[in-house]
Amino acid sequence: MMTNGIRRTAVRCVPWAIAAGLIAGALFPVGGQTSSKDRIKAFAKLPDWTGMWELDAFVGQADGQQFSAEGQRRLKEYAAALRPSFTPEYQAKYDEIRKKIEAAVAADPDHPPVTHDPLCDPPPFPATSTPGMYQWRVTPEEATFISTVGAVRHIYTDGRSHPPQDELWPTLMGDSIGHWEGDTLVVDTVSTRKRLYMGELSGFFVPTSDQLHFTERIRMANHSQIQIDYTAEDPIALAKPIHATIVHVRVTDFSRMVEETDCEQNERDPVVNGRFKTVVK
Amino acid sequence: MRKPQKAELAPFLRFGIRSTFRISLVMILALMGTCAFAHHSRSMFDQSKQITLIGTVKEFQWTNPHCWIQVFVPDADNPSAEPVEWGIELGAPVELMRKGWKPKSLNPGDKVSIIINPLRDGQHGGLVLSVTGPDGKIIGRPAETAK
Repeated sequence: MMTNGIRRTAVRCVPWAIAAGLIAGALFPVGGQTSSKDRIKAFAKLPDWTGMWELDAFVGQADGQQFSAEGQRRLKEYAAALRPSFTPEYQAKYDEIRKKIEAAVAADPDHPPVTHDPLCDPPPFPATSTPGMYQWRVTPEEATFISTVGAVRHIYTDGRSHPPQDELWPTLMGDSIGHWEGDTLVVDTVSTRKRLYMGELSGFFVPTSDQLHFTERIRMANHSQIQIDYTAEDPIALAKPIHATIVHVRVTDFSRMVEETDCEQNERDPVVNGRFKTVVK
Repeated sequence: MRKPQKAELAPFLRFGIRSTFRISLVMILALMGTCAFAHHSRSMFDQSKQITLIGTVKEFQWTNPHCWIQVFVPDADNPSAEPVEWGIELGAPVELMRKGWKPKSLNPGDKVSIIINPLRDGQHGGLVLSVTGPDGKIIGRPAETAK
């Protein structure tokens, strides 16, 4: 039980405790918050990535989603650069998947098996910009990637680390943290799905382990181009890291973000038993 | 709905591809993302074939995830038969906008000529390559391969 003397002392201390709290709050903001002036200064240091962007290979795409000659050339270059070199264990897994796909195609070539996720769901990282257009929202605390096919990446630049291992699980986008080196955003991503999919760039899913880890160095090479130096490492699945330089170009013929994957509206290519079944009426 | 006044169905092979090679091609299409459609593979369409459909628009579906043209095409061998309805798949609305399409680029009753890659399984459907509208002008941005 509290004695009267202790109670009086405690009551006297309350105003001092409040004052100390206010001073501490001003000097050491909670949750990384800064004053408006500091935040404005922090914004001023960030590069201007406003606008809409897309993978360079998509420029000039025609009806039927036919790539231009230059687009096809770029896709071949990407496919070559992104081709994985597996460890023996994962080469065997890859070969097994490939054989199954080939057998499934041969069994029913009219209805191809689904070798990648139809984009009714957002494409998983690192396929987030293939296909679709996207925008960046760059703030001092976070760089956010938002695409027309529903992919959203949150890249935290507030100095935090990845969560501890026992708080991570595989997700579409993984967990991304970043920091700025001048005008270059350096991104570290872990905890993606245990399969690697680069969408238009490399084809179907390839097997990986939970050690899969990505590094990106993202910078605006010029007003019309964002360049991503991309590395994927997986000491268990990949015999050597995958390196590629991926180029995104400014979209100049469209200026609105309009989503394009509302499959509930009129999905006429349903996946039935793992195969596309086009409904023509 | 008006019936088509004049129509023509003119299928032709663009390449002389033998069946074994065609299966290999299907595998490549299935395996390589370079041929991927925006939201799914294109490999259900026979890209070794092009068909020209001339008919009358029933409906232009300006929808996600893909737009569709429903078109009545008379049987060239039997003009008195009921026209056959085809479903022609295009990209998503936002993709089409960038290629010059608009939500009302086609309307019911419009006479159109459409070049497609047909579905492999023989259903009356296909992937658009080029569309010529009722005024004789091409709509959108036709594929370079369209003939």
